Amino acid sequence: MRLRARLSAVDFDTQIKMAVYRTTVENGRPPEIGAVAGALGASEPDVQQAYARLARNRLLVLESDGRTIRMAPPFSGVPTQHRVRAGGVDYFANCAWDALGIPAALHRSAEVVSRCAQSREPLLVLVGRDGPEDSPLLFHCGVPAARWWQDIVFT
Amino acid sequence: MLFFRSEALIDEWCGTRGTPRGPSVRMDQLWRMAATWYATRLEADSRRPGPGEMRGIFADIGLGGDFWDPQADTPGNA
Repeated sequence: MRLRARLSAVDFDTQIKMAVYRTTVENGRPPEIGAVAGALGASEPDVQQAYARLARNRLLVLESDGRTIRMAPPFSGVPTQHRVRAGGVDYFANCAWDALGIPAALHRSAEVVSRCAQSREPLLVLVGRDGPEDSPLLFHCGVPAARWWQDIVFT
Repeated sequence: MLFFRSEALIDEWCGTRGTPRGPSVRMDQLWRMAATWYATRLEADSRRPGPGEMRGIFADIGLGGDFWDPQADTPGNA
């Protein structure tokens, strides 16, 4: 790809990324591909190609159809056990890390509702703009960092 | 990447699933991870930290060793 075309693709991808995040922040869920295409006056195939580039850069995780956003980290496109309420909007986070990532990304206070993975006891974490209240909760990940992206959904 | 109420419950969870026991992370450490990773995520020029940056982030939080080494975690590799 020539330099000008490559730069255009980068700019277009940035517009796509921003449109995805804007809608996700407003609605709590990533947008359908048609809504992104419509908002930017682009074709769905062009948006799908941008999705693929963003996914290669690990900025999005797509479903197998290549058109549906599974993750726009830290936001999840599917329901999970990690719910986050911030600014009057309900979100799902991909994991415990992303549950704190949502208030960090929004720069807003939030309530994180989740559960202990073993006891299944519900838990509530109040997160201020400077972080969570003192809490004895722990975070655990069994997958080493070098293997996180071998199966990011499992991780 | 899950929440647990205690170290013992992490041990139980790993034991019942045959899952390797990774290090546990306190909430203040998790917040620093989250804030470093995501504070600029909604900005146009945001990007994921690269492997070297990741090592630095984890080291600053007190998370070191092979488990937190993302050496193979480069786009297109995994």
